[in-house]
Amino acid sequence: MKLLLKSVKVVDPNSPHHGKQVDILVQNGTIAKIGKSIKEEGIRKLEWKGAHVSPGWLDLNVNFCDPGHEPKEDLKSGADAAAAGGFTAVALMPNTQPPLHSKSEIEYIRNKAQAYLVDVWPLGTISRDKEGKDLSEMYDMKSSGAVAFTDGTQAVQDAGLMSRALLYAKGIGSLVMNTGDDRSISQKGKMNEGEMSTLLGVKGIPALAEELMIARDIYLAEYNDARIHFSNISSARSVDLIRAAKRKGLKITCDVSVNNLYFDESALHDFDSNFKLRPPLRTSQDIKSLKNGLKDGTIDAICSQHTPEDKEHKEVEFEIAAYGSIGLQTAFALACMSLQKSMEIESIISCLSQKPRAILGLEPVSIREGAKANLTVFDPEKEWSLAASDILSKSKNTPLIGARLNGKALAVINNDQYKLTS
Amino acid sequence: MQKLSVRHLLGIKGLTENDIQLIFETADNFKSVINRPIKKVPSLRDITVANLFFENSTRTKLSFELAEKRLSADIINFAASSSSVSKGETLIDTVNNILAMKVDMVVMRHPYPGAAVFLSKHIQAQIINAGDGAHEHPTQALLDAYSIREKLGDVRGKKVVIVGDILHSRVALSNILCLQLLGAEVMVCGPTTLIPKYIHTLGVKVEHDLQKALNWCDVANMLRIQLERQDIRYFPSLREYSMMYGLNKEILDSLDKKIVVMHPGPINRGVEITSDVADSRQSIILDQVENGVAIRMAVLYLLAGGQN
Repeated sequence: MKLLLKSVKVVDPNSPHHGKQVDILVQNGTIAKIGKSIKEEGIRKLEWKGAHVSPGWLDLNVNFCDPGHEPKEDLKSGADAAAAGGFTAVALMPNTQPPLHSKSEIEYIRNKAQAYLVDVWPLGTISRDKEGKDLSEMYDMKSSGAVAFTDGTQAVQDAGLMSRALLYAKGIGSLVMNTGDDRSISQKGKMNEGEMSTLLGVKGIPALAEELMIARDIYLAEYNDARIHFSNISSARSVDLIRAAKRKGLKITCDVSVNNLYFDESALHDFDSNFKLRPPLRTSQDIKSLKNGLKDGTIDAICSQHTPEDKEHKEVEFEIAAYGSIGLQTAFALACMSLQKSMEIESIISCLSQKPRAILGLEPVSIREGAKANLTVFDPEKEWSLAASDILSKSKNTPLIGARLNGKALAVINNDQYKLTS
Repeated sequence: MQKLSVRHLLGIKGLTENDIQLIFETADNFKSVINRPIKKVPSLRDITVANLFFENSTRTKLSFELAEKRLSADIINFAASSSSVSKGETLIDTVNNILAMKVDMVVMRHPYPGAAVFLSKHIQAQIINAGDGAHEHPTQALLDAYSIREKLGDVRGKKVVIVGDILHSRVALSNILCLQLLGAEVMVCGPTTLIPKYIHTLGVKVEHDLQKALNWCDVANMLRIQLERQDIRYFPSLREYSMMYGLNKEILDSLDKKIVVMHPGPINRGVEITSDVADSRQSIILDQVENGVAIRMAVLYLLAGGQN
């Protein structure tokens, strides 16, 4: 593959070209040349108005339902959706059937996704069968390509197991992730406990359920001197807890879903199950704190929490509808729309690219001559809207069909392949 | 003919004060009808109503059925336990199957909050929510407010306390919204574990001492303790609940004014209220039942007449 990106603005503080408008020649999967005006005939030239380029983006929290629920999504359709959203890499949650809990499943993912443009990094489970009882074979999975460990949507309830998981993962040089959800508090709640749940008569999930577990895990991480990553935090107090722990020097990182940055609980006023998410949408106060957390570096990464669900699980009564919405293709737009007023574009991009890569211990990507071409081209201002026919996921569970969006990926380049996103 | 501002009755949310007044005025007419020797009017002739009860109900179902019959509607009844439905056919499929038989209106009771709202987005027929989980039970709230209006002349300015399990109650939510819309002041009273943490956002007063609540109010609406709705224990025993929140004659007589006592039924005698209170002259429990038919006739009639 040989390709010339014309007149793109580099967004990469680690690059000597940061902030400059340049041409980039990509050849055989590497950045062959970067210059003011590269003249090259007979090759594919890509040129847009207002195009920026950054190291390829990585989404720390996606579900591809493969193996187990392939009619909702499979690795290929999921990877296509990721590419269309500007992501050149994803970390795959083990919410599959069977869960990604042994070498076989990890190898299946790695082998099947080997030739994709998008790097698919599997996250193995902490516990066997995601049951929260016994540790799964983390070392074996790590050796097969698992980049970190989490029980996905099943937050680890047992403090003893969590403590052992942190310690064991530390021993094999890996990372444990958890999501804050103390089920003895959240019980049968279906949405944020607050004004809206009171008005709808729906059982609430108190933010306390998240905060208690995060507080517990901070203690456990400190006790074991281990790293921990919190997936999709959603409440103001969680931000405070993590900020304080980071100040203390603990090895803690966390991410937030764009859903929790952009929407609040009022979106649920007419029981639209596309807004039934876990963690639930919270309040405008929580959103404010999450934004501050991103701004001051408390929150490290932004993810889509892409969760495909078919009609049969979404077009049902709110109470029994499945959690989640797809989000890979709209994540960048929601990030731009919620953050552009408060953050520089390079800080937003860092939460989509460099920081999540560092969390998983992946090789850094940089825009310089001779480096691997792992790039996302985007326009943070571009206005667009998502048509149902544009959705590359097999599932269409998003509240954003037809909505006006700002900010769009234009192209992705990785593994000696490229893809235009529109 | 005056019309409602809504196409369905999904909840008190969405209604205007004018809608409620119109329902009350229409119910006034029907109340005189059902007290005549010939209790039936032809208003809903040629209209088919399906009563879909996905959750057990006796009195609400009877009340709707009677209201429909008094209006000369054709009726079909469907009852299913939610568990058998959730295992098999979806709600949309169930209802569309029934609608395929040319049904004009649907009256639905469902265990899940939002079920009626959900259905209204997917089917053509007009829907009356006969109770959806802990969300709303609009006709109950309307008949409660109507009964207060009947007894005290007006709802505006009255102080109403709702006592009991507010957390699991659709009656409480609809009552709060309806009474506030009509200008009443509302207080909720019950054990701390059965009062939603954010109930104050609805603009109600919260009191945990029954005596104080009763001293404050003009009307006490004593909700039924619905143990079947509680997935975990929120209070130690019915005995203890009754000790703290049961209304007996002694308390009633100790108050310095004659308050009105209401109960949406069915009564757990000796738990929420003692028999001598339930059967006292201050109780309007049976008036509520009678007014329920008139209110439901009014709602059916007005919705059948179309939207403004």
